[in-house]
Amino acid sequence: MSEHGEGHSAAYERIRSKKTLGEILEVATSFEKAAFEFYTALIPKVSKNLRYLVEELAGEEQGHYELFTSLAGNPDIESRIQDEIKTPAEDRRFSDFVQLPDLGDHPDDQAILQYALGREDAAMKQYRELADSTEPGPVHDLFEYLAKEETLHKQELEKQYYEIVYSGGPGNG
Amino acid sequence: MPDIPYKDKGSILGPLKTLGFFARRPVTEPFEPRPAADSYRGFHVNDWEKCIGCSTCQKVCDNAAITMVKIPGLPEDPVLGVRNERPAIDYGRCCWCGLCVDICPTGSISLTTEYVHVCRENELDSYFVLPDPNGIHGKHFDKGWDKTADADLVDLHQQPMGEVEPQQRDDNFDEIVHGFTSQQAIIEASRCVQCGMCHESCPTHMNAPEYIRAIWEGNAEEAVRQIYRSNPFSHVCGRVCTRRCETACSIGRRGDPVAIRWLKRYAMDAVSDERIREIAAEGKVDYISGKKIAIIGAGPAGLTAAYDLVKKGHDVTVFEALDKPGGMTRYGIPEYRLPYDRLDADVEVITSLGVTIQYNTRIGRDIGMDVLERDYDAVVVAIGLQQGRSTRIPGSDHKQVRKAVKLLRKITQGKPFKVPRTAVVIGGGNVAMDIARSLARLQKQQYGEVRMTVAALEDFDHFLADPEEVTEAREEGVVILDSRGPKQCLVDENGKLIGLATLGVVSIFDQDGRFAPRYDDSDEQVHQADMVIESIGQMTDVSLFGDELTERLEWNRGRLRVDENGRTSEPWLWSAGDMVFGPDVVHAVADGHRVAAGIEEYLGVKQ
Repeated sequence: MSEHGEGHSAAYERIRSKKTLGEILEVATSFEKAAFEFYTALIPKVSKNLRYLVEELAGEEQGHYELFTSLAGNPDIESRIQDEIKTPAEDRRFSDFVQLPDLGDHPDDQAILQYALGREDAAMKQYRELADSTEPGPVHDLFEYLAKEETLHKQELEKQYYEIVYSGGPGNG
Repeated sequence: MPDIPYKDKGSILGPLKTLGFFARRPVTEPFEPRPAADSYRGFHVNDWEKCIGCSTCQKVCDNAAITMVKIPGLPEDPVLGVRNERPAIDYGRCCWCGLCVDICPTGSISLTTEYVHVCRENELDSYFVLPDPNGIHGKHFDKGWDKTADADLVDLHQQPMGEVEPQQRDDNFDEIVHGFTSQQAIIEASRCVQCGMCHESCPTHMNAPEYIRAIWEGNAEEAVRQIYRSNPFSHVCGRVCTRRCETACSIGRRGDPVAIRWLKRYAMDAVSDERIREIAAEGKVDYISGKKIAIIGAGPAGLTAAYDLVKKGHDVTVFEALDKPGGMTRYGIPEYRLPYDRLDADVEVITSLGVTIQYNTRIGRDIGMDVLERDYDAVVVAIGLQQGRSTRIPGSDHKQVRKAVKLLRKITQGKPFKVPRTAVVIGGGNVAMDIARSLARLQKQQYGEVRMTVAALEDFDHFLADPEEVTEAREEGVVILDSRGPKQCLVDENGKLIGLATLGVVSIFDQDGRFAPRYDDSDEQVHQADMVIESIGQMTDVSLFGDELTERLEWNRGRLRVDENGRTSEPWLWSAGDMVFGPDVVHAVADGHRVAAGIEEYLGVKQ
């Protein structure tokens, strides 16, 4: 896992010191950018038949990057966040029992998904912890929102994990 | 008897008798027709919700009064046995015999008590009617001749299939199912209404109506001939086919579907292996094409392609990594479901036609793909899904955590391993049942009792294994738990595997049918075991391609990208079977035919 990026505990200590929504989103956006760059760099390293998976992961991080950037520029950011967190996302916890692998030089599709799940899970938990340790208000709501976004992403990855690993799909070892 | 006095002119006063009518009360007939009897055979009505367009009514009609009409917009699904056709009646031909009602598998069609229809000369087409639930004139009339148990021509009950009792089978690998006797087979075949839904739903479009009819006629050889029109793995499919045909069978709408799989098995078992080889050889060309085909993998897909191609006069060599043919049908299916001698009989038909199988030859290790590309006119990769997936939960890397497909292979090969005293299988599919039931037999042999548990993530409403597999496994002492999410393989301080921890699963899918499990933390169970077997999914090993060819090939979400003929992005390379479509024998057979046809077309062009 890349240092000081999404899912890394040291990175979230950095975000804890930020006081404004803009500053927090700026750091959160930098996590997504780092994740995008990580997956993009991984694409040529995996076998061609698995690249689609890493490309999709990079695309999802890119989507998050754009989402957070757009949010930061939104003058109604506080009400927008409040709307978003009205419906919380449930942590399914399925991947809590999937080990975080060492990707190594030749990861298979399952290892790539395990790794991505681990990142999302760690990010979700870090934002959740930040939200829990913050007084009610716009900053708290922003952490709630970020935790929700990571939870939703984790849920999507769990679905993909089940369909590839549990459903007899061909994949590649 | 006196003659009839037809020349008698009567009395001259006769007309005066008519005056007597003036004293009688007038009689008035109603304008509406008189009500018909309760079981009157009037005009048809058809419940379109029930009707599946099977055309059985059309086939039974001796007057050819029924035409099936395609109705755009109605549901059409061959897999479920639904056609978007409905019967139309020509009342210029109909004799109201009611056979269409008596034979209708779904009970959708009936005759009503309505019986009057008049029209002008230019409206004669109005006697050609597409019955719907509202009747010919949109007026409600009571049902007349309707489906009753006495008149129903459809036999709703399958012939019972005998099986070895659990106590006689739980410590051995003898085949469980007895198969039909000749009499049973004929009675079962007589249940078929020849609607052809089975043919359309079958991936390889087996001529099931034809072979069922041949069985009914007592002609097993003809049945085999019909079977071999589309399936050279019929001993196998007669035993372990996923039988989509029976899902689509129209008789199954109200009763048991026709036992099509068992009928196929009956026909194959009723004819000698030698005669089957002769029948299968019919139609083989009597010349040599001079073309060489390499096929990688001696499973159903590869060998079906080999069967088709050798009959076209090509020189076909199959490369098999293991020492026997059959692929997952041999190394993944226990012998109590599929005796190996029957699998061998299927393969011998194919080799008897001239196909060479080179065993113990792993492409990518013993022979490179570049050699095949250079030395053969076409190459087929049909290597199946031979590797098991792991849950990769904590502890799953312990040496006593095994994968089902590897263990099944070991059992088939007779390789020694320590049979676990107590074991847990993670998974709920047919492979999970296969390994659980195989190990249960070995436990019974060695320890005199079964201590085998299956823990499946899915609940019984979404269970992946066939219901009869679950039933039989339970009969043999296997405990099957649904809705258990694997949490951790437990290892004690000495490094010994002691069991599997699972959490209860409250629900597993969301409203869209996608995976969204919810766990109950308060429902944690520990299943003691000295072996945990993972049986959650399978994958293929594409390392045989090597880095260079892998880069050249086009892929589609992890799978080889193939065209409608199974051809990859490399013009000399085809791919077929489980590695393309997932695990299913009859799909693999269908795919074998598909690539063989594609190669034949390609070779014709190349020539």
